Amino acid sequence: MVSKEIEKPLACWRGKDRYCGEVLDSVTVILRTAGCAWNRCRMCGYRRERYPALPQGELAERLIRQVRWVEANVGDGEYRLVKIFTSGSFFDPQEVPVAARTAVAEAFRGRLVIAETRPEYVNADVLQDFMALIDDGTWSTPLFVAMGLETTDDRIREKCIAKGFTFEDFARAASAAHDAGAGVKAYLLMKPPNLTEREARDDMLRSIEEVSPLAEMISMNPCTVQTGTDVERLWKQQAYRPPYLWSVLDVLLRTPVHVLCDPVGGGQARGPHNCGACDGAIVRGIREYSLTADKGLLAALAAGDCGCRKEWEFVLDREQPYCMPLTR
Amino acid sequence: MSRYEVLSRDGLARIGLFEHAAGTVSLPAALDAEAFFPDLAGRALSNIHLSADSAFAQQHLRPGEGQPVPVHPRARNAAGSGDCVMVANWHTALAQPRNYTDWLITLKNEIAPDTAWYAPAAALPSTVCLLVYSGFDLFDFTGVDLKTAQGVFCTPEGEFPASAMETGICGCEGCRQADLKLHNRLALQREITLVRRYIESSRLRELMESRCRMDPAQVAILRFLDRHYTFMERRLPVVRSAPMHVNSAESQNRVEVRRYADRVVERFIPSRTDVAVLLPCSARKPYSLSPSHRTFASVIANRAHELIVTSPLGLVPRELERIYPAGHYDVPVTGYWDREECAFIADVIARYLAKHSYRRVIAHLEGGALAVAQTAAETSGIDLEVTCIGRPTGEASLRALDAALHGERRMQHDVVRGTISWQFATEITTKGLQIRGRSMQMTVLRGKQQLFSIDAGTGLFRPTFEGWRMIPEGYRVRIDAFVPQGDVLAPGIVDCDPRIREGDEVLVEGPLAVATGRAVMGADEMMRSQRGVAVRVRKVRKIPQ
Repeated sequence: MVSKEIEKPLACWRGKDRYCGEVLDSVTVILRTAGCAWNRCRMCGYRRERYPALPQGELAERLIRQVRWVEANVGDGEYRLVKIFTSGSFFDPQEVPVAARTAVAEAFRGRLVIAETRPEYVNADVLQDFMALIDDGTWSTPLFVAMGLETTDDRIREKCIAKGFTFEDFARAASAAHDAGAGVKAYLLMKPPNLTEREARDDMLRSIEEVSPLAEMISMNPCTVQTGTDVERLWKQQAYRPPYLWSVLDVLLRTPVHVLCDPVGGGQARGPHNCGACDGAIVRGIREYSLTADKGLLAALAAGDCGCRKEWEFVLDREQPYCMPLTR
Repeated sequence: MSRYEVLSRDGLARIGLFEHAAGTVSLPAALDAEAFFPDLAGRALSNIHLSADSAFAQQHLRPGEGQPVPVHPRARNAAGSGDCVMVANWHTALAQPRNYTDWLITLKNEIAPDTAWYAPAAALPSTVCLLVYSGFDLFDFTGVDLKTAQGVFCTPEGEFPASAMETGICGCEGCRQADLKLHNRLALQREITLVRRYIESSRLRELMESRCRMDPAQVAILRFLDRHYTFMERRLPVVRSAPMHVNSAESQNRVEVRRYADRVVERFIPSRTDVAVLLPCSARKPYSLSPSHRTFASVIANRAHELIVTSPLGLVPRELERIYPAGHYDVPVTGYWDREECAFIADVIARYLAKHSYRRVIAHLEGGALAVAQTAAETSGIDLEVTCIGRPTGEASLRALDAALHGERRMQHDVVRGTISWQFATEITTKGLQIRGRSMQMTVLRGKQQLFSIDAGTGLFRPTFEGWRMIPEGYRVRIDAFVPQGDVLAPGIVDCDPRIREGDEVLVEGPLAVATGRAVMGADEMMRSQRGVAVRVRKVRKIPQ
């Protein structure tokens, strides 16, 4: 007998997202799960956000309660897009038992679903089963598989992030998703530790270019300093500085494709930031660009001449792998 | 192929010549590092932060092509003699005093001393003194140029908004042209020139004690380094011919102060007598040249062993009053003795009295010095006889001192035995030796044969070959089979006494020759360097084959 109890997910919020030139109402859900099986990325702040070891049946039940919470608390029919994150991989059956995955599919049938996973859990059969449950014909591509590729450069992904998979692994997963009729969303991480400001910027420009043929949606996350992470330890030891918002603007302006970007923690010491004076307007501008794809707005912001722009230009030019970070 | 030769030292700081494909530079200096080291362009994606663990550092540290050679405190380092060593991201260490000290000590212990040390992006006019004091030689303009980009005006005392340039704080060419970048670069170069000057005059410590005041992290680093006594002691000269200004609380913790005191307790062999008199110090050095000490000497008339109680050294036996820093220090006299100095001095006196027993200890002292002596006497369970009634040079005091010594046998202060014991940790018999000349022109003879002369600058004894015969072991430098032409260079040294410090008198011994001379580097550097003068030779004698 399955109970009707509900349980609040780790987080759940309403928002808007751009999809195919249209702005959709969306819901983002972060589910508490058994946790990421890899669990060693340097910047990851979700490593402890997991249930203690539970038998699979009980784990499935707890996840289903969270789905019910979303159903009970988010008005039906008012949103068209749902983004599902776990602290790991939605398609890892150890982390999210199949019964729970099925409950999610049933709950969000008819919506456009974006679900995040590591590439090793992407296979056509699993995706097809899931899609069969959510697809009611509303969307030509009812499912997007989101993967945290972070960068297309294997050296950087391994040294700076410790991600544990390669660009080739990602490409294989992307093609499996496409074969199954799903779309692909790639998450990129701007400025993991051990990169200069210029290396970080150039890494994003190259990554966007290289991932574009494999992913219909690209989202770039400027790295933030989350509590309890390796990155936080480095930040406290003067060894890490999040990217300048100038760099974020620069990447978004230079790249020919539209890249989604939500600068979380923007303007704060732990997030992407400039001097503090010009940060607010730039953060708002970037969020707006994410929805409107209006480069004119970005160009206007990038032409602003806050005093800290000189500092950024200097850092871009002179910061080297052997003398970084030059600023805080 | 590059080469680095240290020409002079002051503790960790050095002046030297670095030869490299791009030319020869005299260090310390700031230069355009990317132009000087074209190989730096090939270091993409090579960052390893200083706090990286050994697994990460080991995996990612690539020596790279050419110069400079990157090193890391937790990796096995590939740098060797002649290389320019780059401690990447050192500018981030300045805000972490404990790590700064630990990383520095790890690296300095591991890497050959005849290497030039590059601290990228770390040098500002306000930090470069500390960096040189810590043993860095080569700097760039990245730090000051960043300040320029940020609109910050740099001085050795600290940083100000660019508008400060118009206030006349500095009158350099950059300031006259309202060129902030030029000013900031000139300010860095000027500070390096000044630091160099202090190294040359053997007084960088005094400049460092002054320069660190504006930044708590710098003060902390100075203090942490002082606490690493064994590490610092190996690198500091045993004596200097420069004055020592004991002007800050940190001065008391100078390695030279503790080393002097430790040798007084552990090595020094006092003149034979069982009566000691503790005397106050004088401003004039050596003490015996001061009017007060001439008066004391005439009253005491050699009826007691004279021991001078002083801050910061603790206790200076009359025999050792010329040796650095006893003959060289100057201290602000206010009559107030703080607890730190009292504790240190009382400890030295107590240890001394525990080691050397006297039938009578007379304290001809007043005020703070007397209080300290009393603390020490209590600790060691000794009864002090106090002979001061008011000022030590007052008539009543002198009369009391004379009366206290009435009937005591006369003795001689054995300067030769005392100095040799402090300097070489050995005991010699001075029977049959004569001293010719007084004070700073002293020579020691046996018959017509000269055994020792005094180095007027430092107070040390310089043995002749005959003098060395009286010192059976220690302070030897073993060289290969060659006859030194001029000075002995580090690569020619096979072995040496690990107690040798810069400034020590040494006997060079090899299969083909022996030589007397003075060490210009410590034992550690002699053994680990491939370049540089190790011993300035005074006399060479071929060994008949």
